[in-house]
Amino acid sequence: MFGITLCAFFLIKALPGDPVLSLVGERAHPEIIESIKKEMGVDKGFIRQYAGYLNLLAQGNFGTSYYTNRDVLRDIIGKFPNTLALAFAAMLIAVPAGVTLGFIAAYRKDGLIDKCVNAVSLAGLSIPVFWSAIMVMLLLSLKLKLFPPSGTGDIRFLVLPAFVLSVPAAATLARITRTTVADILKMPYINTAKAKGLSSLNISAVHVLKNAIIPIVTIIGLDFGSYLNGAVVTETIFGWDGLGRFTMEGIIKRDYPVILGCIITGTAVFVLVNLITDIAYHYLDPRIRLHAKKS
Amino acid sequence: MPLAACNRRLTHCKRLPFRRISLFFFFAVVFSISSCSPSNRLDGYVYYRLNANPTTLDPALITDVSGASIAAKLFNGLVKLNDDLEIVPDIAEKWEVSKDGLRYRFYLKKGVSFINGREVEAQDFKYSFERVLNSKTKSPNTWVFDKVEGEKEFQKGIAKEVKGFKVIDGYTFEIKLKRPFSPFLSMLTMTPAYVIPKEDIDKGTGLFVLKKWLHNRELILERNENYFGDKAKVKGIVYKIIPEDLTAVTEFELGNLDVISLPASAYSKFKKDKQWSSRIISMRGLNTYYLGMNSSRHPFDSANLRRAVSYAIDRKKILETFYENRGRPAQGPVPDLLRKWEIKDNSREGSEYDPRKAKEIIKREGMSGIKAKMYVTADQDVVDLAEIIQSYLLSAGIAVDIKQLEWSAYKDALNKGEADMFWLSWWADYPDAENFLFPLFHSSNFGSAGNRTRYANREADFLIEQGQNALNEKDRNRFYREAEEIIIKESPRVSFWHRTDFLVTQPWIKGYRVYPIYTMDKGMDVRIER
Repeated sequence: MFGITLCAFFLIKALPGDPVLSLVGERAHPEIIESIKKEMGVDKGFIRQYAGYLNLLAQGNFGTSYYTNRDVLRDIIGKFPNTLALAFAAMLIAVPAGVTLGFIAAYRKDGLIDKCVNAVSLAGLSIPVFWSAIMVMLLLSLKLKLFPPSGTGDIRFLVLPAFVLSVPAAATLARITRTTVADILKMPYINTAKAKGLSSLNISAVHVLKNAIIPIVTIIGLDFGSYLNGAVVTETIFGWDGLGRFTMEGIIKRDYPVILGCIITGTAVFVLVNLITDIAYHYLDPRIRLHAKKS
Repeated sequence: MPLAACNRRLTHCKRLPFRRISLFFFFAVVFSISSCSPSNRLDGYVYYRLNANPTTLDPALITDVSGASIAAKLFNGLVKLNDDLEIVPDIAEKWEVSKDGLRYRFYLKKGVSFINGREVEAQDFKYSFERVLNSKTKSPNTWVFDKVEGEKEFQKGIAKEVKGFKVIDGYTFEIKLKRPFSPFLSMLTMTPAYVIPKEDIDKGTGLFVLKKWLHNRELILERNENYFGDKAKVKGIVYKIIPEDLTAVTEFELGNLDVISLPASAYSKFKKDKQWSSRIISMRGLNTYYLGMNSSRHPFDSANLRRAVSYAIDRKKILETFYENRGRPAQGPVPDLLRKWEIKDNSREGSEYDPRKAKEIIKREGMSGIKAKMYVTADQDVVDLAEIIQSYLLSAGIAVDIKQLEWSAYKDALNKGEADMFWLSWWADYPDAENFLFPLFHSSNFGSAGNRTRYANREADFLIEQGQNALNEKDRNRFYREAEEIIIKESPRVSFWHRTDFLVTQPWIKGYRVYPIYTMDKGMDVRIER
């Protein structure tokens, strides 16, 4: 975490642009600009600024936004549930859809269905989110009037951004699942299971899924972790009040406390999600248990 | 029937209801989600869009358009602008200006109250104006009052109060200036000149009251039932914060927004659509879009080269084609709506497209093949325009390298004078030609204060100052005209156009007006008739 704060601080300071200039408008007197810089502390040297920031962090404080004067930590805490809801909803769509499509494609390998799933997943990966977001909005909001096009609120507002966000995740999952399941289906133990007379449902659920679960969980963990850092484009287009939009606004306005707060939160969340994924491995696959008893 | 066939049929028979149930379940979920809550519209409220969260609603600190347009509905000043851009009373009932143009005495209306119930008195104006100048406030708007006597001493902490702000009695307030300054009254229509109560700086006197502000989502204003003038005709205003233009257009088409400013990408579509074309309102903006040239260093320290650039670009054609006529051609830096004089024909030299002349000048100056860096923001519209300008200048013999920067970095680079050329616009803070001359061309304003072309001409400086000091309109306009003619001739920038904005309203919205300055819209006339 310390390394991240240092890297983030250095990179932000290396960016061209001045937060005060965005703040003061067009005709501010130079002495006012200087006094605002002094109050913000951006006139000091890099080391003093960084030490000051670490001091703030040590007190559990992310500082206040240069623009809104609001407490950054409070804003992050306020927006995080929205981002969590969006990430969770997106995964709720992506996981069943992606895994199911991957399974079907693997069972129908090289057939028409496999080719269709391959094409759809390739499209899902290649189509940029801003385009799919606009298309989904025009179709489901403007034409069919099923969901509101933007805003933050109840489940109705969540459906479109979650769907758009789920598309690339579902596509990745479908492709990974297909490859993994297709490999597993060639394994001798699957033939053994078939020979034992087990039903295909039993084989799929117990023998195939159990062995394919590790790469699937890895992808889920990575996608979920990155969505928890905010989906900038999706949140902006659908006006979803999450961490992605908050971070983006901070970057545009050079609002250093906001950018740093979001980076630190994002890093912590990502590390946490990866840790949970690693713990999940332990339960899902006995071969990677760290403290497995020696036989 | 063979057993196998029967089994297949049975399996088939079993699958069909399952699929149907799944499909039914799917659509049931979709429809129940889509209809699980009624429309969120508040009855009697008008819905507007903001593309960004306002930075602040403190009148002393506001510098963004979003904040200023909302503050105009929450606060009042001594004077305001009417539809003809004339200064009319707001909280001041009347005012007198001394013959030497130094003293402005305002007589306040009685019975004007803040929303906390306390009556507005002259001392509130003194407090509000001094607060802007107080170094503790760190207001970026101190320039609004920098002509007032004693402001420097107060800002430096030498004096406890500003000598030029005088409370004569409870309802009489006087401002004394250091020197005559003709646009001063216009400047008092601006956001920093709004009155606030000392005990509760969030409370205004305006037509509306801030009811709720959900950061990054929406602001809700409610009608002020105790407003001192005619009350608003709507119950309130909801500002939806929608960053994306296309999303806002979709919200409008669905009837969730009542008025939107048409983005360039949607302009043609709405204009061709019979349903909307008659509901489009145009608003001639007080602005000038221009190509600036750094006049303080090589190569654009040569007025001849700058003039050649002006000759080289067919602005009219760009306006008609690329800009779809969403503006009026600019004759000079001062917008057509504020120019109360004619520019002499011989002063317009360099303002017409003449590529042959451009090449001749460049050749004569020995500058053929010269290279220049043009700085632009990363907006796609601006980049497209920069490429058009680049191609015109290449034909004339100037090789332009386009450098895109994000807004904050762009402004920083311009303030430091790093760019040879740049694309920028200037919008009026108050309706006076001075606002388009002094900050942009006076040599005391290099960089962040507005003069980013770093243009310096003693004669132009003198004429602009004389215009500021002139006590009558005729003299003022003469000085401004002469200053503008020098500037056009010396071409520190090529003025392209004055942008016209287009808005579209829902059929149920009546009485909606658009104004060339954002602070003019107090939300008084708009009403809903369904």
